[in-house]
This record gives sequence, structure tokens and C-alpha cells, in this order.
Amino acid sequence: MAATAEELLGKQNGATLGRVLGRGSVGEAEEGSDGTMSATVRIPEDELVYEPGVLVLPHGGVLELTLINDDKNTHCAVLPSNGDTQFLWLVNHSKGTATLELDGPGYYWYGSTTGNDEGRGLTGAIVVQGDVPDEARLDRPPQPQV
Amino acid sequence: MATEYVDAGSAIPYATLSTSVGKAPPVAQGVTYDRILNAREEPQNWLTYYGAYNGQRYSPLDQINASNVGQLTPQWVFQAGNTGLRSGATTYAWEASPIIVDGVMYVSGWDGQLWALDATNGQELWRYRHASPFDVSLCCGNVNRGVAVAEGKVFMTTLNAHIIALDAETGRKIWDKPFGDVRAGESATVAPLVVKDMVIVGSSGGEFGVRGHTDAFNRETGEHVWRCYMIPKPGEPGSDTWPADGEAWQRGGANCWITPSYDPDLNLLYYGTGNPCPDFDGGVREGDNLFTDSGVAVDADSGEIKAHFQYTPHDLWDYDSVMEHLLFDLDGQKLAAHFDKNGFLYILDRTDMSPVRVVPFVDRIDWGEVDEKGNVTPKVYPDKEGDPVHFWPGPAGAKEWTHACYSPDTELLYVPVQDVGATATRRRREFKESIPYWGAGVAVDADDQTGYVSAYDPRTGQERWRWTSPKDLCMCSSLLATGGGLVFGGEPSGEFNAWNAESGDLLWQFQCGSGHHSSPSSYSVDGRQYIVAPSGWGGWAEGFLPKMLGSGHGSALFAFALPE
Repeated sequence: MAATAEELLGKQNGATLGRVLGRGSVGEAEEGSDGTMSATVRIPEDELVYEPGVLVLPHGGVLELTLINDDKNTHCAVLPSNGDTQFLWLVNHSKGTATLELDGPGYYWYGSTTGNDEGRGLTGAIVVQGDVPDEARLDRPPQPQV
Repeated sequence: MATEYVDAGSAIPYATLSTSVGKAPPVAQGVTYDRILNAREEPQNWLTYYGAYNGQRYSPLDQINASNVGQLTPQWVFQAGNTGLRSGATTYAWEASPIIVDGVMYVSGWDGQLWALDATNGQELWRYRHASPFDVSLCCGNVNRGVAVAEGKVFMTTLNAHIIALDAETGRKIWDKPFGDVRAGESATVAPLVVKDMVIVGSSGGEFGVRGHTDAFNRETGEHVWRCYMIPKPGEPGSDTWPADGEAWQRGGANCWITPSYDPDLNLLYYGTGNPCPDFDGGVREGDNLFTDSGVAVDADSGEIKAHFQYTPHDLWDYDSVMEHLLFDLDGQKLAAHFDKNGFLYILDRTDMSPVRVVPFVDRIDWGEVDEKGNVTPKVYPDKEGDPVHFWPGPAGAKEWTHACYSPDTELLYVPVQDVGATATRRRREFKESIPYWGAGVAVDADDQTGYVSAYDPRTGQERWRWTSPKDLCMCSSLLATGGGLVFGGEPSGEFNAWNAESGDLLWQFQCGSGHHSSPSSYSVDGRQYIVAPSGWGGWAEGFLPKMLGSGHGSALFAFALPE
């Protein structure tokens, strides 16, 4: 039976050369009692993808991120954070951490900037939920939304 | 047996993988309010957004002058580049005005970037990058117009509408306050202004149906001091210029996305406000729609509106009035000059914002007539649903946000001009929060346009000279006047120019490789004068110069000086 489009887009050298961005599973960060969030992202063997591909945070703040490279090739992670972009080199079979400060709401991309990892699929998203504080919002009645 | 994972350690700041020093000299510690108040007594520095509170964009430095400007050469170039997937990745432009304090330059880029540089050689001293949400609403590009510096801190707004205070020696964040709602379509691009113990900012988002405002924060603590909405609520002064029974005021626009000028004697901030929303569909917002498209004088201590003049009542052409108000005194009068998108130069009495003189400054105007006191008679505008209407100037305006300047030596105003029209076809739509709310489809004339730099006499309103773009391109870089009798400014095609301030003769030119949509500054270190110009084309090019939409983006900061 022929592979479905879903199967072909979600793998290396299927319909495309790499893996179409924004795919992969959705994972959620855990929140500690002090509001600090934590999560683990892995790079599975030969998939050239961060897993989960979309990491969801309940709100803005500090994320303690563990990154594990289970692949048999070297990659990295160039990550957004208030202050400066954060860089972590991830040789084959390695494990490291990153402390990220991100505002919410909105979402951010990060990626492996070696070779064209970014284009092959190693571009992940961090989604930050929530709203801005009341004091930053407009003084007007609730408005219609999409 | 599986081996243990190799320890990759902890992620490190990107700047540590560069030649960035990580520390700047403590020059900003001594930048007090009094020094900013008297900024032009320190010609070696460029301490605040316009060079001085008066908005004149004039540097008294005169080492570079008409007789030697031909020898001007680049001394150093700072390049920024881009990494990864960023918000507005295709629309970034370098629109900032560099601030210089005793040999250290503080300059913002796009996408939350800010650098401290050695002003003599471009060496990066430190950097800060605020992570911008990829999905933030941006009407007009991934841009930022500059920073403010005072008493050891650097202040910058972020795309997601925060105001942040950084340690001027290290770039480390001291405080961070959101002042806009990104879920409502608000953002921030404005360069902050330090006044007294406050730092003052304004919101962007006028194309998304927000309610424009300006905010003041305590610059030491980040505590919110006041907010001034530019659209009155029902019952407030000016609310009778909005439909009494409607919701239009809630989405009326009038954003303050350009830094105000300030008169310390009158204690008034002079804002230009943005367009009403929806931009082109006036049927849902009958009335004059105060305080959109206005010059608004705001008390710096209380945030109260004290006076205003509305340039384009009931705007149907997207004629923001955000551009600067240049403050100067002539013949005993306290004046403010404002070149509006609608094509007219207004000379106002800045004590009460009453008009003194109104004259056109662009050749093609057919949207309406404006008399010598600023009274408007609309002529051509989108009125019927689905009916295309062409008008001059188009929504790009006869002048963009990029700034005019004033030389107290020549007593002339200098303005970059865009002579371009557009066609708008009204298309009514429902308002939905954070979705663009224009009320029309708009196409700017790509093939029929020109631009020029003009000098105007504020006493008479007469044009004294004009330099016309040889490529027939709209002129949309801020101008800088100097004590050397020169006017500097860039072209969309990359040339950075020096003109004779008296005659308009083009005296010098350097091709920077990418268009200019920024605000050059001047400073000196150890007696050597520099002109600094950010070069990086982009932004809302489809709106003001669609024939240059395919031009290469750049990201270079050029510092020019005479040979030693």
C-alpha cells in the first residue's frame, strides 16, 4: 500500500528531502511550585527533528530545558531567550541544559544551525500561553475575536 | 553496553562566541536629566533621540563642512545579520537613530536587538537581544527606532510592547514592563524619551483597531506613572467627535509610535498621532475622530492633553500625523513645524497649537484642499463600496515617519519628500481583535513616483531649494543638519548624501549597498567628527516604495569621518 501524504511529510527523504517544519508531537512543560517550568526535548536517531516538535508552556517566565541528542550525528540548539540567544553544542549521544526566559503570549522558533539542519527538520517551536497583565491591556470592553 | 551521555553542559550566550567585549565604560552614569536638557551644549554627544528635546536633529559640529566634505570616507562598519526564524524575517529594516555618549554608541536594530559599540572603531562592547514572539502582529515591519540613555541605564521598547531598562555597562536587564496587549494587535517600535525621572513610550498597532496611548514609567523602578489615551472614552473631551452610540472609539487608532519632542519651559510633550481605524472606511466612525491625525500637546507630569491641532479630520486616506514636531523660536514666537503625510507643512504656535501658516510641500495633492489656517475640504476619497479611488498623496504620505530637520544657522527646515499616489477600494469588514482593520484594498503607484529633499523658510512657507532624486525614488531617510552647513540623508537605493544647506547642491555621496530608512546622527571623539548612518532597507516598503520592494536587505552601520 502506498504511503500517505502524512507519512511522507513526516520523515526524511519522503515527499520532500527533509521533514516539513512544524511537525512532530506536541509536549507540555511541567511547572514547579515556584512557577519555574521544565521540559525535556530529544533528537531521535535519523529523524532530524526535535521531539516534541512543539513545546507548550502555560505562561511566560523561566524554562529549564534539557536537550538530549540520541542521534548518531552532531547537532546543536540555538534558542531564544531574553538577554541573548542561547547556544548549546550537542555532539552525538550528548545531553545538556538551557535556561530560557521568554515572554508570553506568543511562540518562538529554535533550531540546529549546523549544516542545513534547520531546513531538514531540526527547527522546533516553543509556545507560550497566557495573557499580558491587566495593567498593560487596553481600557475598553471585551472585543469580538475570530 | 550503552555509554553514558556526553555532558554537553549548559547553553551559553551567543555573544560569548564572538569578539564582543561584554562591558562598556561607565559613561552613561553621568547622563542626568540636566545634561539631556542641555544636550546641544555637548556637541560631541548625541544624548537623546532627536539630538535634543526640540526635535531639530541639528548637530553644532562643524569640522566636516562644505569645503572638505568631499574627503569624507567610511572609518568603520558594523554589521548585524540574522539568525534563525525571526518575527518579520522578511520585513526587517534598520530604522534606528544611534545615541552616542562620550565615545560609546548605543543603537538598536530589529527584532529586539541592541548593541553598545566603541564609537571610534565599531567594536561591539555588549549586546542584548529580547526574544520576540514569531507571531507578534506587525503592520509595518520588524523595526525599532532607537534607545534612550540616562544615569547608567539604556531603555528600549520591544516588538511585544515591553519597555526594558538595561545596565549601560553590561547590557544586563534591570527591569521589564509590558505596556501593550499583543493579543489585541499592539506592538512597540518607538524610541523611548527620558524626561525628568521618567521614560516615555507609545504604542503601535493602528492598523489592528486598537486604542492608541502613550505611557510614562519611573526610569529607576519601572513603576507606571501615567497613561494617556489618544481616543477619548464617552464623556471625555473630544468624545463628541465619535459616534455616540457606537463602538468605534474602542478601536479608533491614534497610536503614538514616534518619539515626541519636548518643551521644558512649557512642560509639554508634542506628539503626532496615527491614523483612525479602520483606515479608509469612515462610514463606521462618523465625526472628526479626535485625537487621530493630530499634533497633541501633553503635560509631561500628568499625561493630560493640554492642546491639540487636528491635521486631517475624519481621515479617509491613512494620513498618520506621527511625524515629528520641530520646536524653535522665531521673531519672538514659540513655534512648532510639522510636515504631515497629507502633503502640507504646518507652522503652529506651540503654546496653544494654533496654526500660524499652512503650505503644501509636495507637487501632487488632490485628496482635498487645506486653507492657510488648516481648514480641510475633502475632495477625493474612498466612499462607495467596491469603487476604486485614486488620490495623491497615497497612504505612504508626502512624508514618511522619517524626520525633517531644522538648522538654527540657516533658519531653514529640511524635509524628505515622497510624491506618490495610490488607489484604495473600500471593502467594509467586521472588526475582530488582532486582525488587520483597514476597510479597503490599497495599491500604491509603483511606476509613477518621485522624491526630493526640500528646504523651507518657516517665516514665509516658501521652498528655498529642492534636490530631486535622479532615480525618481521617494525620499524616506531622516535628515541631519550640522554646524558645518551641511544636510545629510540617505536614498532608498543606498547612497548616503551630503547637501549644501544653503544651496541644496549635492556635495558628496557614498554607496552603502542597501537603502536608508533610518536617522543618521553626528558626534565627535577626541576632536574628530563622525557621521553615523544605519543602512538596511525594508519595513513597510510596499506602502511607501513598492518599486523597491525587491531591493536587497542590509544590516550595516556606517561611520564616516575626514582622513586623519
